[in-house]
Amino acid sequence: MLGNDIVDLDLAKIQSNWRRKNYLDKIFTIEEQLLITSAKKTDEMVWLLWSMKESAYKIYNRKTGIRNFAPKSLNCTIYPNADQIKGAVNIDNHTYFTKSNIQLHYIHTIAAPVYSKLEEIKVAIYELPDHPSDYKRTKPGCVSHHGQYLALVY
Amino acid sequence: MNKEEIIEALKIIVEPYSEEASALVHINENTDFITDLKINSANLVDIVLDIEEKFNIEIDNDSMAKMLTVKATTEIIAQKLEAHAG
Repeated sequence: MLGNDIVDLDLAKIQSNWRRKNYLDKIFTIEEQLLITSAKKTDEMVWLLWSMKESAYKIYNRKTGIRNFAPKSLNCTIYPNADQIKGAVNIDNHTYFTKSNIQLHYIHTIAAPVYSKLEEIKVAIYELPDHPSDYKRTKPGCVSHHGQYLALVY
Repeated sequence: MNKEEIIEALKIIVEPYSEEASALVHINENTDFITDLKINSANLVDIVLDIEEKFNIEIDNDSMAKMLTVKATTEIIAQKLEAHAG
């Protein structure tokens, strides 16, 4: 089972004001809030952690059948000193591993229940107006849409 | 506040976060914020914060976890208002 999540950074900028009072506290654990406040690029860290949570939730939701809105119960860890941004997200007794790709205009995270599977995931990212209309026929393992972007994983 | 009044207030709160005009017009207990109103999940937090401000209540994490539909959200608001009044 695969997860993925894309954040259109230009849209996120106008769609979400994470600096709003109590906003971060509703979504992020104390440790994650520390990562955000100590980050050089705070916006980037907010949306990196958010995409990690969303991509992991997409697997958790399908695996357990649980549908809820509990972003704080998804605990992110970012592995230090890797040249790629890898991490893990824990929820209940489940752990999902993540790999993220930060670009100027988007952040994309893929998630898998087994660490070694991350390297096997094939990613396709499309920008408007080039979204293939028949992408469902390609049977992606997970679909993510945000703003200009469509992200598929196989 | 009765259920209908809460739903009316809720409609005003969610409006700026949804572009699904027809689903907004027909908002009812069974409306789902994500599947029907196509609200971005990051904006669900805004809705929770707006509700806290509008109704002067505090939404804990367990309550927030259930707030994906108008029905669940209305029930939580009613519950919190009652606890507040009591």
